[in-house]
Amino acid sequence: MLTFIARRLLFLPVVLIGVTLLIFVAMSFLSPYQLVSTYIKSPEELKNQSLDDLVRKYGLDQPVHIRYMNWMKNLLKGDLGYSVSANMPVTEAIAKRFPATLELALFATIPVVMGGIWLGTISAKHYNKPLDHFSRVFAIVGWSLPDFVFGLILLMLFYGVLGWFPPGRLSMWADSIVLTGDFVRYTGLNTIDALLNKRLDIFWDAVRHLIAPVITLAYLWWAYLLRITRSSMLEVMNKDYVRTARAKGLTERVVMNRHVRRNALIPVATVSGSMVLGLLGGVVIVETVFDYKGIGLLTATGAQQLDYTLVLGTTLFYGLLLVLINLVVDVLYAIIDPRVRLE
Amino acid sequence: MKAKVCSLILLLTLCLSVSAFAAPFDPETFIYVSGAGSPQTLDPAAAYDTASGEIIHYIYDNLFTYVGGDLDNIGPMLATEVPTVANGLMSEDGRTIRVPIRQGVKFHDGSVLTPEDVKYTFVRAMLADPAGGPIWMFFEPLLGVQTMRDVIAMVGGPEDFADISEVDPAILRKAYDVVDATIEVDGNDVIFHLVDPYPPFINILTKGGSWASIVSKQWMIANGAWDGNPDTWAKWYDQAIEEMTLYEKGMGTGPFKLETWDKSGDQILLSRFDDYWQGPASLKNVVIKNIPEFATRLLMLRAGDADAIYVAQQDLPQVRDIPGVTVVDGLPQINNTVLFFSFTIPIQGNEDLVGSGKLDGNGIPSDFFADVNVRKAFCYAFDYEAYREEVALGAGEIPKGPFPQSLPYVNTEQEYYYHDLSKAAEYFKKAFDGELWEKGFKVGIVYNTGNTARKTALEILEYNIESINPKFQVEVIGLEWATVLDKLRSASLPVFIMGWLMDFPDTHNFAVPFMHSAGTFAGYCGQGLIDLAKEQFDELIAAGIKATDPAEREKIYFELQRLYVEQAIAMPYIEPTTHRVMRDWVQGFEYCSAFSANFDLYNISKVQK
Repeated sequence: MLTFIARRLLFLPVVLIGVTLLIFVAMSFLSPYQLVSTYIKSPEELKNQSLDDLVRKYGLDQPVHIRYMNWMKNLLKGDLGYSVSANMPVTEAIAKRFPATLELALFATIPVVMGGIWLGTISAKHYNKPLDHFSRVFAIVGWSLPDFVFGLILLMLFYGVLGWFPPGRLSMWADSIVLTGDFVRYTGLNTIDALLNKRLDIFWDAVRHLIAPVITLAYLWWAYLLRITRSSMLEVMNKDYVRTARAKGLTERVVMNRHVRRNALIPVATVSGSMVLGLLGGVVIVETVFDYKGIGLLTATGAQQLDYTLVLGTTLFYGLLLVLINLVVDVLYAIIDPRVRLE
Repeated sequence: MKAKVCSLILLLTLCLSVSAFAAPFDPETFIYVSGAGSPQTLDPAAAYDTASGEIIHYIYDNLFTYVGGDLDNIGPMLATEVPTVANGLMSEDGRTIRVPIRQGVKFHDGSVLTPEDVKYTFVRAMLADPAGGPIWMFFEPLLGVQTMRDVIAMVGGPEDFADISEVDPAILRKAYDVVDATIEVDGNDVIFHLVDPYPPFINILTKGGSWASIVSKQWMIANGAWDGNPDTWAKWYDQAIEEMTLYEKGMGTGPFKLETWDKSGDQILLSRFDDYWQGPASLKNVVIKNIPEFATRLLMLRAGDADAIYVAQQDLPQVRDIPGVTVVDGLPQINNTVLFFSFTIPIQGNEDLVGSGKLDGNGIPSDFFADVNVRKAFCYAFDYEAYREEVALGAGEIPKGPFPQSLPYVNTEQEYYYHDLSKAAEYFKKAFDGELWEKGFKVGIVYNTGNTARKTALEILEYNIESINPKFQVEVIGLEWATVLDKLRSASLPVFIMGWLMDFPDTHNFAVPFMHSAGTFAGYCGQGLIDLAKEQFDELIAAGIKATDPAEREKIYFELQRLYVEQAIAMPYIEPTTHRVMRDWVQGFEYCSAFSANFDLYNISKVQK
């Protein structure tokens, strides 16, 4: 297994160089004056700006291969460049925005996976019965609803009407403590940092801000996991060993939990891996609606403004995540199903 | 079943317990939720966008201010008097301006303002001169040039250079001496020496001009800014904005101190400066947060979590009837929105906009808009009233030319274009000696995607022009801003729309970008307009800014306005007004069209109703 992991990790730099090269090739289609839009973001900012001066100042007139070499040189020194759209160095932007996304992903993964598997199991157990139809319709409605619509409905209901779950990551009062007080930032995850600082009030405030985006994400993903779990369960339920388990007189609960569900989880693990990767990569619309400043929103804003240093930096980061999470999923296969041997 | 009931109770308890942490009304904290972007820099020498100007407004003071927001009433701020010829602080020829500096004013670090700080502010800004920044406004009146590069060339240095380290140090020293000589400290006064009379110079130094915010020399040097040495300034010349000392710091004499710029949370926290020379503000804390999503901002306003929010004009109807929310609209702005024509359009590689590139019914020739009849026909084809009422929702004035009507020296009686399709047809028939009417044309007209108001303006034009003659084809095309910028640079857009926000309230600030051969828009409108401007406008513009007699200035700007309209150089179609949306507990709101700040927070207080 260790050899397998080492081989996959060795593959990582190749993947990362590949994706950055692709971005630079795509960039070569843009003129220096298109790239200068990073610095002049709207027609209203086009005051007495000398476009040529800006192009020269930021080296946008240099050939793409020169820019790539310069960028690589800086990368080897650990410098990913400066992001104009984020107003900070790219490494700092990723370090500050990723914990927000990680926190959201951590809180969302449990209800998404548990709920999806539970719904899938119910559907399979009550195959073609009203409960199966109901859970499928319930989940498919979630899958069909645009996330900004469902997010806004939740925001309207839980914040606009009930005043329970406001947007953002923290309330203003909590923000002012976190930003200006003696609050120590250990992880960048508000809930964990609040507990480590023994600030239960800030912990609850952070949880309060997480609930609505988590519900939105969960509802959107349930249909996906339900379908995978359901079909996988139905397939496993017809296997000989399940019939044997029932013939042995095991209770239905034991048959379902130990023999059916466990074996049906392999495809679910694959899907869950890509889902976690999706969550960690940031969920732009949910982050926008709930003003949740995560890495997805950061990347999307950077891409819209042709902020190529930021796009390159976040792409590198995503590449890293992609390889690592796929690795974890492969290892999980072996744990879930001992018949799978990574070697 | 029991477990399910317990879970439900637990969930409800959780919801109720978290809701208990909702913030109570705080009369000392003001939260403004903007949606128009975050600041690019907090350095007054580099900031040239409104989001940056807003924050700088609260941290710094200027030498002068507009009293009660009245643009005709300039009063002293860090100066003790406003220089005039009458009070002897301005020379008869308007070229020497003496400014007495207020004593006992403290910076946020407790140090006391001196005239040396004032001189350092301006000299440091000129020597730094970040590309694309606002410092041309100091160079033009003080030295008659636009940039530090021009100063270097003026003293015998290279016309162009890739890096300032290539320039001979002796030349750099000469350039420094020229800049340094423009401002002099004499006892407790600062004296500005102008190259020529420049009537709006005092406006450039007045509050609202973030570039003229006074910084602390001592603090700046201690924090790594230019050290005041005549031979070392090049090290700080044209730095990347994030490398400049004040990029994310603030040290002024203004009513609020910068606490933190939380970039990852897209918000800025300010706190009251208790030693403010005019007395402390009523508000203790200020949060300015950027949330692009309107629905989120709206809910925050409704919930009272925001004291004021940014609302785009088209969203205004959604906030008008919310209980507890005040909408102040119809606030005058000094800006205009203009549809420009390119006088010389490149054909090659531009086929998507100019079609065949010939006058054959399937495109337009390069000099299509060089024919004044075509421009006039376009101007008569636009329905100004419909746009104002239906798109701008009544918020704005129909222009009378390139100069907003609230500026001085604008002829409000100037005859202007109006919607008249028969007149449009008449001019189309005259264009290209009747050939245009016979053959027709096809043209692509461009807006930057996302700007629905501009798209609608172009659609109004499209509808009207196509209804005049079936051979006329106009296609409204949306392009990404980056592509628009690229095409502007090569003057490739036959028609495009831009707005111009005032830098300082003087007609000159509109005459140069709109009409001068070296102005912002001439470069985007092709050589044809540059040649015309050189021939007819440049001399008048130069005379207008040098004239000190108001009657003479009026005559010159009236003439420029007349020429612009008569020749239909472009089509200004709206002078938009603006608005503010706030909770009704916000008291003391005062508006000044020259300020970048949405709220002059020094005067604001919160009183719960």
